[in-house]
Amino acid sequence: MRAYLLSRLAQTVLVVFLSLSAVFVMVRLSGDPVLLFMPMDIQAKDVNEFRERLGFNDPLPLQYARFVGGAARGDFGESLRYRRDALDLVLGRLPATLLLAATSWLLTMGVAVPLGVLSAVHRNTLLDHAGTVATVLGQATPGFWLGLMLIYVFSVKLRWLPTGGTGTPAHLVMPSIVLAAFFAARIARLTRSAVLDVLNEEYILTARAKGLGEARVIGKHTLRNSAIPIVTLAGLEAGQILGGAVITETIFAWPGLGRLTVQALLNRDFPIVIAAVFVISVTYTLINLAIDLLYAWLDPRVRLRP
Amino acid sequence: MRRLNVLLAVALSLAAAGPAPAQDRARSKEVVIALGAEPRTMLAVTIVDWTTNAQLEHIYDRLLDRDPRTLKPKPMLATGWKIVNDTTWEFTLRQGVRFHNGEAFNADSVKATMEYLQNPANKSHYAAYWKLVKEVQVVDDHTVRLVTEKPWPSLIDRVSLTDFLVLPAKALRELGPAKLAEKPIGTGPFRFVEWKRDERLVLEKNPDYWQGPADVSRVTFRFIPEFSARLASLLSGEIDIMKDVPPHVVEAVERSGHAKIRAAVSSRINYLALVNLKPGPMQDLRVRRALNHGVNVDELIAQVLRWRATKICGPLSPANVDYAPVECYKHDPTRAVALLKEAGYDAAKLQLTLDTPSGRYPLDKDVSLAIAAQLQRIGIKVNVVVNEWGTHLDKIKNRNTGDLFFLGWGPSLFGQAVIEPLFQANQTYSSYGNHAAFDAKIAQAITLVEPKARAAAYAELQRLAHDEAAWVPLWQQHDLYGVASHIEWSPRADEKVWMYEAKVARP
Repeated sequence: MRAYLLSRLAQTVLVVFLSLSAVFVMVRLSGDPVLLFMPMDIQAKDVNEFRERLGFNDPLPLQYARFVGGAARGDFGESLRYRRDALDLVLGRLPATLLLAATSWLLTMGVAVPLGVLSAVHRNTLLDHAGTVATVLGQATPGFWLGLMLIYVFSVKLRWLPTGGTGTPAHLVMPSIVLAAFFAARIARLTRSAVLDVLNEEYILTARAKGLGEARVIGKHTLRNSAIPIVTLAGLEAGQILGGAVITETIFAWPGLGRLTVQALLNRDFPIVIAAVFVISVTYTLINLAIDLLYAWLDPRVRLRP
Repeated sequence: MRRLNVLLAVALSLAAAGPAPAQDRARSKEVVIALGAEPRTMLAVTIVDWTTNAQLEHIYDRLLDRDPRTLKPKPMLATGWKIVNDTTWEFTLRQGVRFHNGEAFNADSVKATMEYLQNPANKSHYAAYWKLVKEVQVVDDHTVRLVTEKPWPSLIDRVSLTDFLVLPAKALRELGPAKLAEKPIGTGPFRFVEWKRDERLVLEKNPDYWQGPADVSRVTFRFIPEFSARLASLLSGEIDIMKDVPPHVVEAVERSGHAKIRAAVSSRINYLALVNLKPGPMQDLRVRRALNHGVNVDELIAQVLRWRATKICGPLSPANVDYAPVECYKHDPTRAVALLKEAGYDAAKLQLTLDTPSGRYPLDKDVSLAIAAQLQRIGIKVNVVVNEWGTHLDKIKNRNTGDLFFLGWGPSLFGQAVIEPLFQANQTYSSYGNHAAFDAKIAQAITLVEPKARAAAYAELQRLAHDEAAWVPLWQQHDLYGVASHIEWSPRADEKVWMYEAKVARP
């Protein structure tokens, strides 16, 4: 177990390093970083003085070496736009991001898994069809549209909820619903098919034959055995919600990581982009590790080998 | 039924936890302004950025303000100024003004501010604006002289912009710029309370403001990137002022009963550049003139912008202190075709490329497409390329655009800030240049201190730009603000959103 963990952590370091390097090359190819944050009405030579001072005129390999040296010490440099330590700015967005991710993830699982199980158990009934319609709608509805409609109904018309920002639990309601809608649809569909597969197994027949109540059949025998694909997808989605809630964060003015990262990309604020990719990739690989550990617990046949 | 009651109770308690409704804010005289982005720093004279300065101006004052109507410089922290000689300007400073930390405002503050921004270690963008200033001489506690390397008449224009917000000398020395960038200290009508990144900036009234305390007790800037969400916040009464209401929702705002539209003719201009800095048909003056005859600016204003723009015919707008009127090119398709023929081009075979940003200026992409349609009517095929903003700037810098590109410029309140960067070949965002007589005229105009000579020189430059048909000049933008009904405030041509000038009616 310890050897397994150690080797996985070593892999994590490698994955993070490779993704940072890839991002470094890609953002450098995207264009001149200096022009975008300088005033437009100053002379070209003054702009170039900045480029020189910030080291953007140096050969790319030298810049890369400097970047690797800094990154190894956890120093991603100063944000070009905000003149603050990039990692600080990124970490400052983490609490809001985690809060939104956790709420919407819990909402997703709380709605989607029961919905999927109900659909599977009552296959081809009205309930199942209604569930299918709901999940297709959930997947097909664009997040920005759903967000704006919710704002229109609940903020402008009914005045129940604030249009955006943070501060109270009320601020969390609409963004978590919008984020959860899409992910819940996927989880519900997957749960339905995974549960259906297991329901056809002979040991379920046996369980029923020995007179077990339906609640135990579903709750213990079926769910645990269909958990692996669900857990896999849920883990992937947790990662996606962390870094990819850009549209939701933008519409609801939520001060999260995704919005900061995309803004930084558009502004070519490289230090922030790199620091954000660092934080997101570390979290992502750790979530994956947690899921692999969970497999072993869910299914004793799974062996963890380094 | 019981479950429904529970749901209702939850909904109500959530609603009660929301932000203070509009009436409460009106009673306590708070104003909430929604902007698309947060400030980039709290430190004055460091980063050139409209959004940042719109917020900083509540905290810091300038030496000179501008009259909101005439846009001429008027006293602020300086009570007067005079030209001692061609390279020396003397400012008399207001007495008895104190910074928010109690420190006295005096000649030392002015000197320290200039030294801060000129110090390369501070990487201030403003160093480029002030590089002609050689020295700040402290004559006495309340008199300073700015000495320039060579005669520089636009100094007075820079002083009366956000380009010189005054920092406290002692705090700057003792706390250092990094601390002040987190917790700013100025002489302005509002004091800093808190800045929650990407969420809000909160300021409170400075009761000891030297012009008398503001009517508004508290100003909160909220950062809402999405325009529809900003609009929804205005209509639901969560915010009181928003900038950049698109023309097509003006009626919805007026009808809402909560807010009204306030418009200002901005000093920010939009234009279509005819690029002569790269090979192609735009090298030929006749082609550039033909395009000026071919594009129907009045029609664009009426059909695309719904009259929310004011036509300009030269490179400067009437809001610019160096403005001189020039005659417009008449819309005349026949003349356009004839001019093209004269230049050896068959309009029906001419193909041009137009680069445009999308969403940076009011309806920029739609305007570009409409221009292409207008030119199509005389046979010219225009291929419109829509760029992400950063790419657009890169293309202009690298002279990589098509023959035409769309750009805005401003707020442009004095001639040098428009003519110098946009009509010379060696400038980053220029589209036109390599005209020796034009270059010589610019070099001369920017050093003329005597008002009559300066006016004549800039008038000639504007005539030259017109005769050379360097652009198709389009218009001054109209800035549209949604303002809650209980707030009395008029926007300004220099885009200053200053709540010291606002009044809140109690409900």
